[in-house]
Amino acid sequence: MKIVNIFSNFKNGLVKSRENLKDKIEYLIKKSKNKEIFLEQLEELLILSDIGVSATEEIINCFDEINFKEYEKNDFIYFKKKLKKILTDILNHSSPNIKIEKNRLNIIMIVGVNGSGKTSAAGKMAYKFKNENNQLLLIPADTFRAAAIKQLNIMANLAGVEIIKSSEKADPASVVYDGVNAAKARKKNILIIDTAGRLHNKINLMNELKKIKKVIQNAAGNNYSLEILQTIDATMGQNGISQAKSFNESLGVSGIILTKMDGTAKGGIVVAIKKELNIPVKLISFGEQLDNLYYFENEKFINALLD
Amino acid sequence: MFADLTGKFKAIFKRIKNKGKLNEKDINNCLHEIRIALLEADVNYKVVKEFVNELHVQMINENISESLSPSQQIIKMVHREITKVLGSKKSDIIISPKPPTVILIVGLQGTGKTTTAVKLANYLNKKGHHSMLVATDIHRPAAIEQLKILAEKSKLPVFSMGTKEKAVNIVKAALKYVSDKDFDILIVDTAGRLHIDEKLMLELEEIDRQILPQEKLLIIDSMAGQDAVNSAKIFCEKINVNGIILSKIDGDARGGAALSLRKILDAPIKFVGTGEKNDNFDIFYPERMASRILGMGDVLTLIEKVESAYDKKEISRMNEKIKSNDFDLNDFHLQLKKMENIGSVEQIVSMIPGASQLNLNKMQYDDRELKKIEAIISSMTMDERNNPNIINGSRRKRIAKGSGSQISAVNRLLKQFNQIKNMMKKRKYIKNFPFN
Repeated sequence: MKIVNIFSNFKNGLVKSRENLKDKIEYLIKKSKNKEIFLEQLEELLILSDIGVSATEEIINCFDEINFKEYEKNDFIYFKKKLKKILTDILNHSSPNIKIEKNRLNIIMIVGVNGSGKTSAAGKMAYKFKNENNQLLLIPADTFRAAAIKQLNIMANLAGVEIIKSSEKADPASVVYDGVNAAKARKKNILIIDTAGRLHNKINLMNELKKIKKVIQNAAGNNYSLEILQTIDATMGQNGISQAKSFNESLGVSGIILTKMDGTAKGGIVVAIKKELNIPVKLISFGEQLDNLYYFENEKFINALLD
Repeated sequence: MFADLTGKFKAIFKRIKNKGKLNEKDINNCLHEIRIALLEADVNYKVVKEFVNELHVQMINENISESLSPSQQIIKMVHREITKVLGSKKSDIIISPKPPTVILIVGLQGTGKTTTAVKLANYLNKKGHHSMLVATDIHRPAAIEQLKILAEKSKLPVFSMGTKEKAVNIVKAALKYVSDKDFDILIVDTAGRLHIDEKLMLELEEIDRQILPQEKLLIIDSMAGQDAVNSAKIFCEKINVNGIILSKIDGDARGGAALSLRKILDAPIKFVGTGEKNDNFDIFYPERMASRILGMGDVLTLIEKVESAYDKKEISRMNEKIKSNDFDLNDFHLQLKKMENIGSVEQIVSMIPGASQLNLNKMQYDDRELKKIEAIISSMTMDERNNPNIINGSRRKRIAKGSGSQISAVNRLLKQFNQIKNMMKKRKYIKNFPFN
């Protein structure tokens, strides 16, 4: 029952973009008088979904090879299948989702630009993992933004998860150091670190993150894993690539959390990021409820988008 | 800012320049590149289409292929068209003749509403107004507290009633509260909301209907993608937004949303948010922004920033000092402080014409270097600052220790200071030190 629930929630979050794409493709194929018009409209559709110029060109080229005369005008199933396959090929990745093991310290560090939804994602993630029977500790390492610590504390309370004390203007690296030691002392198996939002072109702030990573690696001991997840706002444009590139170069990002998928933005930037940088999406988040966070699954994502 | 788009255009024009003259094929290649550059810059698909069509017409009409310098002509043309899209003149906050002026700040989650509300209040107060902030974000945890903390930094008052009261009632209570007080502006920070969230959009419509705010400002993240136009359109439909503030333009986003919004919406872009400090806030100037996009620099903004950091008296006092060769480390220290007020080194460099050409904007600047110099000067006694010549070996040692730096750093600073002083001696006229 729970799985069905999750899946329908997942689809509800995507319902907007799904309807748009599905309706539009059907419409496109039915109405397109010739190949040129079809390709131009497909291009518009893809660009508007934020998947980027390069991915769009690749897809358009695939359709360009088709001899339209061989297909019925309303045979949109074929086109849908083809589009699905192209998207699957781009998004496909073999590395598993976040791997949580009970007998080690699984450290998850959340990074991203300002306003991309880090604190919300941290709270939701805590709630999710707690319900999967893990021992959690949250670290509010955003000591810069006003009231960020309080925000995470409120979410921690709602989720019923322990959170360590921290104060505004404290050095985030030392907060993290204390947090890692606390997690070890309290025998926790998951540690979630919320960091301050920063624009990826601010060198000092990126260096601060590198320092935090180093502190984690030094303090965590031998039996730990480190997952660095970057939040990408679904409304984000092509700058998302630049963001992912910078954070990845500084820290080595292991996955993306795609946030705010409940709007009308299509979140297509995920496709561009995967294509350009090969960083997979691991989680998807939407809405303001604590339980609105799911593992990202390419198949479901594309199906929900096109079916 | 907008560095990528600038770079793209530069590459296109360089190619044309090398070829000398343009033929129809060149024009098409050029337009194709411009089109891709704009799409990659997140300019809305439909806007790009229109924009490129207009350019095509211009190019044919202006008979580029006969020209000796097509590159110059195209730069001018693209600049003109971008300026046209961005709007042709600047636009400020409209202050109601009957106070208080109510300004409503709205937008999607995470676009920077709370930060912008405080920046705007700070900006208006500097112009002689008395602003009060009103906290109506009753939804996001700790949002009200965030507003209070940010406001406190600029000593701005916040009106709040906790998270139980309806937003519209909070605004009403705030209006009542200021009715017999000396506030002429109310800035209402609202909760972030999705444009398709009917319940929350109704909340905004209710405020709009019952309060009739003079200014309704939509905050747009300059990193936003194609969907920015859709959400902005709905905000405009529901509450008739009459202005846009573009946030986070200190990132490296190409900022295509700015171009799209002006073309599709009737509302002008009024301000831009340029950093995390409360005074990192600028008026939006379309023609300057267009220049910036094309890598022509933004000298006007730079001059204005310098002017606001230095008052005239101070400049003439400084000139006297320099003329009489009295310039000492105290003055040097003061200048450094002023520099900080103007902006980070990176911000200043981004406004210099040709910075992108010289790759200056690719260099990495560390504002902490300035801080280190400040620390060294702060560790000197007044006597030492007034008369740096007395700083001998043991004093240098003490200063290094006091400022947590190496003796070599102290030596370097003193050497640089002497060089500057020598340079000054040679100058006859100094109008706007240090930027003349």
